[in-house]
This record gives sequence, structure tokens and C-alpha cells, in this order.
Amino acid sequence: MDSTATRTLPFVYKYKNHEGQDCESRLDITFPFDQENLEECITQLMALNQMDPMMRYLDENINLERELQKFVDTEQQNFLDDHAEKLLKQTANEELDIEAIVRDTERLYKEELLQFADRVGSSDEDIFRPRASIAWCTLRPWRTYSSESVHMPSRRWIAQINQLDITTTSEDINNLLAQQYTTQNYVRKRYESELEAMVGHQKNEYRNWITSQVSQMFQVSPVTTPLGNRSSMFVSQQPSMEESFTIHLGSQLKHMHNIRILSANVTELCSPLHAEESLNGLNMALGLYSSSLCGVVVLCPSIQAQANKNIIKNANKSTEFHFEQIDVQMEKIEKQIKNLTTEDSSGSSTSNSSAEGSATPSPTKKSVTRLKTGDFFITKHSNLSQTHVIFHLISDEPINSPSEINSRHPVILGLRNILKTASRHDITTLTIPALLRHEMSEDMTVQWCIRRAELVFKCAKGFMIESASWGGAELSTLQLLLPDDISESLFTTLAGMVPSVFHVANPKILVDTSN
Amino acid sequence: MGTRERERECRLCAVTFFAKLHPGDVCGSNGLPLTPNSIAILGRAQKLKELQDEHLCQYLDVIRGKHERTIVVSEYLGLSLEDYAMRHPPLTIAQILRIFYQVACGINVLSRHHLVAHNLEPKHILLSSDGQRVKLFNYGLHHMTKGGAYVPFPIGNIRYMAPERLLGLNGNVKSDVWSLALVMVELILQIELWPKLKLSNVVRKILAFGKSNGALEKIAREHQCHERYVQMDQRLRQLLESCLSVLPKRRPLPGELLEHPIFEEVLLDLKKQKMEPLSPETDHLPLLLRCPLSQIYHLWQLAGGDVQAELKKEGLIRSEAPILGLPQIVRLSGASVCPGRSQAQLMDDRVVPLRLKALLQRLSGLPAAVYFPLLHSPRFPAHFARELQELPLVIREKDIEYQFQRVRLFTRLLQGYPHTAEQLQREAAVDVPPLLRGPIWAALLEVVPNGSYAKIDKFTSTSTDRQIEVDIPRCHQYDELLSSPDGHRKLRRLLKAWVTAHPQYVYWQGLDSLTAPFLYLNFNNEELAFLSLFKFIPKYLQWFFLKDNSAVIKEYLSKFSQLTAFHEPLLAQHLASISFIPELFAIPWFLTMFSHVFPLHKILHLWDKLMLGDSSYPLFIGIAILRQLRSTLLTSGFNECILLFSDLPDIVMDGCVLESQKMYEATPKSITHRQHALRLQPPQALDIGVADVELKHLQQEQCPRISAKDVQFLLDNSPAELALVDLRSVVEFGRVHVPHSINIPFATVQLGEQRLEALQVPQLEAQLRGKIVVCVSNIHQHSVEFSHFLVACGVQRTCILHKGFNVLHSIEPNILISN
Repeated sequence: MDSTATRTLPFVYKYKNHEGQDCESRLDITFPFDQENLEECITQLMALNQMDPMMRYLDENINLERELQKFVDTEQQNFLDDHAEKLLKQTANEELDIEAIVRDTERLYKEELLQFADRVGSSDEDIFRPRASIAWCTLRPWRTYSSESVHMPSRRWIAQINQLDITTTSEDINNLLAQQYTTQNYVRKRYESELEAMVGHQKNEYRNWITSQVSQMFQVSPVTTPLGNRSSMFVSQQPSMEESFTIHLGSQLKHMHNIRILSANVTELCSPLHAEESLNGLNMALGLYSSSLCGVVVLCPSIQAQANKNIIKNANKSTEFHFEQIDVQMEKIEKQIKNLTTEDSSGSSTSNSSAEGSATPSPTKKSVTRLKTGDFFITKHSNLSQTHVIFHLISDEPINSPSEINSRHPVILGLRNILKTASRHDITTLTIPALLRHEMSEDMTVQWCIRRAELVFKCAKGFMIESASWGGAELSTLQLLLPDDISESLFTTLAGMVPSVFHVANPKILVDTSN
Repeated sequence: MGTRERERECRLCAVTFFAKLHPGDVCGSNGLPLTPNSIAILGRAQKLKELQDEHLCQYLDVIRGKHERTIVVSEYLGLSLEDYAMRHPPLTIAQILRIFYQVACGINVLSRHHLVAHNLEPKHILLSSDGQRVKLFNYGLHHMTKGGAYVPFPIGNIRYMAPERLLGLNGNVKSDVWSLALVMVELILQIELWPKLKLSNVVRKILAFGKSNGALEKIAREHQCHERYVQMDQRLRQLLESCLSVLPKRRPLPGELLEHPIFEEVLLDLKKQKMEPLSPETDHLPLLLRCPLSQIYHLWQLAGGDVQAELKKEGLIRSEAPILGLPQIVRLSGASVCPGRSQAQLMDDRVVPLRLKALLQRLSGLPAAVYFPLLHSPRFPAHFARELQELPLVIREKDIEYQFQRVRLFTRLLQGYPHTAEQLQREAAVDVPPLLRGPIWAALLEVVPNGSYAKIDKFTSTSTDRQIEVDIPRCHQYDELLSSPDGHRKLRRLLKAWVTAHPQYVYWQGLDSLTAPFLYLNFNNEELAFLSLFKFIPKYLQWFFLKDNSAVIKEYLSKFSQLTAFHEPLLAQHLASISFIPELFAIPWFLTMFSHVFPLHKILHLWDKLMLGDSSYPLFIGIAILRQLRSTLLTSGFNECILLFSDLPDIVMDGCVLESQKMYEATPKSITHRQHALRLQPPQALDIGVADVELKHLQQEQCPRISAKDVQFLLDNSPAELALVDLRSVVEFGRVHVPHSINIPFATVQLGEQRLEALQVPQLEAQLRGKIVVCVSNIHQHSVEFSHFLVACGVQRTCILHKGFNVLHSIEPNILISN
């Protein structure tokens, strides 16, 4: 569809100047004309032709405006009519692809207007979603179900190991090993399938239970979904060190945020929800479908999109009732990654169209696309203690050689994308690794840590200021996570940097002014 | 409930949609992040609020929700043509023509404003319940979304869409003529267009019109009503056929349509109706409904009306659990893999009425005099709630009866302006209703619009353009209006116009912040915003925008230091001792009248009071801010102070306004004397002369000077507030002195020890406390040194008599006595 055609016409304005001489002013005007530009055109007409500035005071501009407006109105109408005529003729002569127009129009109407959209029923998740308020009470009856079955050292294996003596050749050992692996594999497969069956069974049971509860609730009273929670209020697992600040960001209009700096192992933040009896579990469960979610950023290498092993283990300790089991989520993500075409072919695909782009993978793809540093994938959880959402951010920094990065480094930009996603999807509590490392290593000198932390703090601050204009949810709490094996003195140093980088809110002092 | 009553209550309604998200992470041409589309829509929609016509539903508000949701509030009337036709089938030809004519009127008004509707359909044509009045509804969608560029969904009902629009051509008013004709054809032929056809086939049908002539006949045949087509009035058929010409050139313009002879009767009818006296129904109309809709909507909001809650109640804002919409993978480029979009995100064109019942009931008890206040009849006092004026401003601004009364009163006053200027000033001193703040400020600044803004060149490029371009995207961008592209364009025009209109001045950074409040308040009236700024700057910032403004600023800041010493001697002493001088923090305060350091909502309250004071008022605001931070400042060193002021902490504006007002009123005018201030009348004999006090004096003297005239005034009117300290020798004092003055001969005192007791004057502290302490001497230097001593002792309100004791001799009638 050619809607970029333009037409340029000269506008000539004749007038008498203050000495009564006939003058003329001329300007080329391009159609389609934007009404906003009218005044600018008048200025040009007066300035380009050296019209005496005095003429403005003789109200010549008013007359000029009237003339120009009349000219523009007529010509604009002519232009639009002619342009339409051209296209309509082309249509009549079948020079345009009518079917494409029909297809595009239909797609647009069906995809964007509720009136024409195909009505779809609620998805599974949608059904589960409703009543988080009753969802939490389901946590208890099932929590003991599924944690035992994983580790079963084979007794036979131990016995055979004990029988080993000098007479055994390496061949024997190899045989033995092969045998052992087969049995082990067999046992594992059996347990896995049993586990899977059990999980499926539990999910089914849960679903039935929910359905019965919901229909009961509908009979009794209208349903209200909880509005939000402040899960940060109930921190159950005390991290070894932590310090909190309240800060104001913004130059004129100030937004308040909370900053907490703490040292802990990242897996502690993602420990199984049911491991401890505490309010926190209930609180996290209540917040699952609210609009104040909790998220954690976990770094992972790019070699293979794979979540942190300990986290997977934690997530697998109990049945995931609301989402898919983490292994299934990972499988799907891996599939998506394979489908991802290289960036050039998908171009500037939007968040929606990239899904369909993946349906037709380009055959010219060289190798399996891999996520690169700064990309991230997301898993959702209802059975972890302090997070609903885990952002797995790809970072390939080698463990033993701390490098220097700047604010344009992909990991930092990935962090910005995470904050953006968080704002768009109502994640209001976010934990980020403040050194972009989960463990300390010997090469991480105090100087390096200070530099790295300062960079992360400053970038986080910048992104938070920026986020005010994104129009999403405001980040209420940012947690800066330091490795759990950090020294106390270094922690104190880094915590001391927070108030200097972020502007800490002044305490409000109430003074009795009566005397 | 009768239909009429329901109609009364449904005067307002809301529709909602989502703006398009920017794909990934893109930046604009200036390197800054793109403005969200919802903000751009908000900016463009402001213009629509100005449209007022009897055939158009007025736009009232555009609200931006979370995640790009946009809510449009507008007028509503009776019921839609769709419903009306269903309830009264079939409509007579006369009725149809009446509707035809009035809708065409609406389109014509739009095209005069260079707008097109492009979504004309029976749903968007509203009729009063008697079917007499017709209004267009939701006609601004095409304009506010920039022809649909800002929203993901297509605009317009496909059935009524002209063929050229399917080919992607927008903006031609004749497309609306086509739609209008089709809507009328439906009514006349009593059919529904292609009721069972699939969407794609409708598109094919419309495009197929291009190949044949006689769209009307074709439609009639397809819907098995060729008979009705044949029986149709000849003229009407020709009119419709011309409107349904495939080539837009052959269709009439709305203006031409209105002049068609077929409408002669309708025209006569409408004229007759207008001539008729008000029907009894309108007499029974609640008084509130005779007020402008914008005021009704404002009150509705005050009365607890919440558009978002109403939409939620109707299920239009379905909250989808955010966790379900999370993407699975996000690449560095911003591309992401998302689960499918939920249907809650789709465009749902339902209309939600906003009920006025509660508001009507709430205000029904008020006397008619409140609805239509009389300004010049003392028999009917314009105030009915004096006691409310004692309450804090925040409460007054939320009280609906009070606001209603204020809004009605100011509406009257503004209508009478400039004749009512004095009364307006008096009322504004009480408070300013937020709804009318823009025009009220303009009136306080004595603005009289005269069309001069149109004559100023706002486009020719100048040397300051680059700086303006840099400043605009950083000026109060948290505000939706000011951050919209329309807001940027308007601010640029205002700034350029100001620069052009003041060849003697230059653009200093900060002018943008100074302009922002005026633009924010008068977004649709640039001229008023410009003229307000035009008057504001000389009043409070005379000469500040000179290319070399150092002398002006130095004088201003020295005066600020003096006044700080006058009201807060200990604080001034402390700041001076750590050399934390005003140059380090106060320049942006005064150059922008605090508009650079505070968010808009605080500036508005601050300036409400500022507008009533003279050019010295800002100085007191500055002191009030220091006073609020007093305890922190007194315990801070230089570095802490710098850090504290680099990002000013949250200031309680209410307290700041009250404090500054108190200080402003308690300070004699001559104390604030500045050479560069705007002067309305020439100084008199006993005043401080224009150039009497030089900058170096100001910088040397810690205390301000007071004029003999003010001393005389205080002596005459409130001698209890004055403490004159006469520093001359005992002999001179004995010869002649001011009654009740305290004699402390300068030659005898030791100023080394900074304690009042050291002077050994009995009860000196009690005599000075709470008074304006004037140091008088024959030798100026003595007064200066003694005043420094008093400040060091923490004595408040110390000043020096300008020109010394001898000037008191010249006061007539004589005030001096001798022992």
C-alpha cells in the first residue's frame, strides 16, 4: 500500500506593502499537509521573502493566514481525492493484491478487537489462578508427598565394591561399572516415571479440589482476589548480614524505594517453600497472583541454557501446582531457544510477532542458536520460599579471573531489560547480585569488589530513575545480594557505599512548634 | 426510573483501550528513550477538550492507567442510534433526515477543525431520549491516536468503511461522508448491512464497489429490498448515491451536504425549536446540570468518583494475573518470546456510564445563590462557608461543597474580569480552586489577551535553539502533559516566542522550568500561558535574564543573606561561619522561582501565594526553606550542607507557604529594598533612594537597612513592635532623642564578648525580644558594627536606620523630644 506519496505545490501570496507597492511571496507546500505546520509556513512566507516585520503589526499575517488556510484546505482535499482515485483505479484494474488486503484487514480485526476475536476459554493457568486465597491452604496436605524418592544408593553396588581385591582386573571393574550404570539408570528411570505419575496425580487432585472450592465460593460470596502483599516483611531465613535503606529518586518529583543489601547464598532465596513452618510460605503463596511479585536474578553460563542445579533441586522437592514442573519449563525454554532464529533474520521482531517468527525457522540457520551474554530466560515458581519468578541471566564471566566491565556491558544491559520486564509485569521486589557473582574467589580483591559494586549500584539507580517513565509497576524493594562467603569488613564497606550512591531519605523529624 | 431521569444521570461516560507498546528497546532521534504512546495520546487529546458544539459530545478527560491503559472520559447523551432504532422501528423519513442533517453538522464542525471521525457507526451517534437532539460520540479516537498509529487496533467499523480507507488512506473527510450515508441507508431501507457475512467477505464486498457503479442499488438488491430503493424519494436517492460514489471526488463535502435542498424542512424545524421558550422540562433540570460539564466532572471526581473503579465494576479492566504474562526468554536486543496475549488486552469498545446521582443528591441542598452567585449585591453574600476557610488547604481542596462554591464564584469573577480584578485578588488571597487556577493566575498577573502572541515569530531559528532543544526533554518530565510530544512542541514555541519578544534578554537555563507551570495550567491556551510568563518575569525576576546578570544576582543573594540574618540570626551566623554562601545553592531557587527544585503540584501551591506578594516574596520562601531545615543545617558542616542541597529533601510545602507569608507580612517594605527590583512608583523623600545602597554596602553589612519612613510608620501605628537602639553618646541623647528609645553609647561598650549581658543594660533582652530592633547612630560604621554584634547574640530582626540619626530631624511632624 503506497501511502507515502506526496505532492508539492507553490503557494503565491500577493499583497501591498506599507508603501502601497505590489509584492508577492511564494512558498512550496508539500501535501499531505499537517495543520500543525500552518503557523510555521506563515513565518516562512514572511521571512523568506523579506516581508517587512512591520507587516505583522499591520495584521498582514492574519490575511495571509486566511489565504494560506484556504489554499491548503482546497489542495489538501484535492490531493486526498486524487490519491484515493489512483489507488481505487488500481484496485479496479486488479493491480493491487486485493487478497492480501483482505487477509491483513481480517487479521488485524480478529487479533485486536474483542468483538471479532475468537472467544477462547480460560487456560489451565487461568483456572488455577483465581483464588490464591484458598490456594495456600492446599499447600499443607501435599507437602510431604514427594521429597524422598531421589537418592537411593544401591546396596548391591556397595557390596561389590567391598569384594574388590587384587585379583580384579581393570576389565572386571569396567564390567562392573557398566553393569552398575545400567541398573542405576533403570532404577532412576523407574523412580522418575513414578515421580511423574505422582506429580500428575497430585495435580489432578488439586485441580478437582480447587474446582469444588471455587464453585462453593461462587455460591457463597463474590470472589475477591488479594490485592498485594509485602512479603519482605516476613524474612524468615536470616541472612548472615543485611542492612536496609529508604531512598528517594528523581530530581523534582521524588519516588520512594527500599534498598536492602544482604549477603546470602542465592539458593537460600530459592529454598523450598515447605521446608519450614513460617508465615513466609503463606505470604509468598498469597502473593502469587497479586500485582506485587518477587523476583530473583540468578546468573548462569551460556554453554547450555541450564538453571542453577541447586535451585532445580529445591524446586523439585515438592509438586508445582500452579505452573509446570521446572524441568518441563526448562525443556520448553530450550525448545524455544532452538527455534529462535538469528537476530538478523527475525529483525526487529516485536514481543508478539517473534512467537510466530519461530514457527517458520529459516533454513539457512548455521548452528543451533545459543543465548548470549545479557540474554535471560524466566521460570515461574509457586513452591520457593522467597521468589515467584527467577530471571536466569546469562553471564560468561570466568570464575577465576575477575574482569573489568563498564556500564555498556551486555550483562548490565541485560539487567536493565530485567528491570524493564519487572516493571511491565508487576514485580515489585527484585534481588540482583550486586557483584554480578554468586561466589567469592581469591582474585576478587577489595578494590575490584568496590569498583564492581559501585558500577552495579549506579546502573541500578539509573535504571530505577528511568523506570519511572516506563509506566509500569514501581519497584518498591531492590535487594542487592552479595555472596554469602563475603568478609564482614568488605560487606560493611559495600553497605556503606549505598547511602552515597543512592540518595538516602532524610528522616522526618516531628517538632512540637506550639512553644 | 423514567428514561428522562436516567438520561440526567448519564451525562458522563468512559471508554478505555490500550496504547501500542514500543517494540523492544528503541531510542528517538535525540538519543532519549521514546515517549510511551499513552502519553502521546494524552497530549494530543487535550485539543479535543476544547471542542464544544451542540452536535459533538464534549471530551472531558484522558487518564493514563498502568501498563499503557488509556481511559477517555466524555459527555454522553440518551442512547445510541443502534438502540434507538431498535426501540422505535421503523423511523420515519423525516426523523431519519433530521438525524442525517445533525450528524452531517457534527462532521462539518470536525472538518472545520481539521479533524475526521473515521469511526462513524450507529453506536457512535447518540440521540436524546425524545430523538430530537443528535450528538457524535467518540469522534476523537482517530485524532488522539494519530490516525491509529499509537494503538494496535484498527479504527472504525468495517461495515461502514469507505473503500479508500481499506486501501490505507486516512484523513479524508469524505470517508466519513460515505460512512454516514451507509448508516442512513440502513435506516431508510430498514436493513442491517451484511449481517451474516464473514469479515473477509465484507472487505471483499466493499472493495468490489470499486469495479461497479451504483453501490446503493447493489446494496438494495443484495438485501432483497430493491422495491424500497425504487420507491425512495428521487432527491434522497440521488443524494445518497452521490455520497456513496466510489471516487471520493464525486462525494459532497459535509458543508455541501448541509446545503442540499432536501434538508430545508429539517432546517426550518430546528430553527423553530430554537425559538421556542424553554420547555417545562428544562425548568425542572437540576441546577447543577446547567453548569459546564467540565465543572460537573471535576465535582464528580471530588465526590469520590473513580473512573477506573467504574470500569472495573463493568468488567472492562480485567486484571490478569501479571505472573501469567511473563515472557520466557528476553534477548539483549529486547526481542522476547511471550505467551500469547490474553484477551483482556484486546480492544473492547463498550461504554461505561458514570452516574451522577450521588453528586446531584449531595449538592441538591445548596441554595441557588451558590450555583449562580451575585457579585455586586450585598444582600446576597457570596460566601456561605466562612468557617471552612479556617481548615487546612488540603482539606479545602478536597471538600466538594466548598470547591463547588469557589468554582462558581470564580467563574463569575473571571467572566467579569478585568472589571472584577480587585474582588478576584481578594478571593484569591483566601485560596485558588485548582480547576480554574490557570485563568485566575493570569488575572492576578493582570493579563489581558490581545492576540499579540500570534504575531510573534516562533519558528525562525536562533542561536539559543540548541539549548532549548536540550532543556525541553529534561523539564518536569514526570508530568504526562509536559512529557508528551505536544507538550514539547508547545513549550518550544513558548520559549522561542519569549526569546523573540525580549531582544534585550537571553535564554538562561531555568526559563524552561519557569514556563512549565504556566503551560501545564493553560495547555490549550498558549497565548494565556505566554502572557502570564510575560508578566510574571518582570514582576519577580526583573533583569535576571540579562546577558550579564551577575550584578542583579549578586544583589539579590546579598539581600537574601541579610534577610536570613534578619529572621534567622543564628542560622545566618552559622552558615556564614562555614562559608556556605547563597551563591552555592540559591541561584536555581530564585532564577526559576523554585520551579526547578520542586515538583509541579508543590509549585502550584507556592505560586498561589507568590502571585499575591510583590518581588520580595520569593526571598521569604527561601528563608522558610532554610528554617525548615534549620536543625539539620545547624549541626552540619560545609560538605554536608552541599550534599543536602544538591538534591533538596522533601519540603513540607504547607508549612513553607505559611511561614513565608508570616515573614512577608512582618517585614517592613524598605528592609527588602533592592536597586534592581521593579518599581511601580518613584521613591519619596524618606524612602531609600534607588541607587543609595551599593552592592559593596550590601555585602559588608550583615543587617538590612530600614527607611525613616518605615520607622515613622511603626512609631505612629505600632510603637510596641519597635525597639530603637540609640548608639550616640549620653550627651547627644540627652539633647534630642526618640521617645522610648534605648541609649547604648557605642563608645562605652565592649563588643568582644558575644553576649547581651556584657552590655550591662538592665533587661535589654526582654526589651528587644519580638521587636524590630533599629540601630541608630550618627556614624554609620557604629551602627553596622553594633548590628553585627546583635546578630551574633541571636537577636532577631535587627536592622540599621538608613542615613543615620540625622534623617529623623527631617520628619514632619517632629517625632523627637529632648530631656
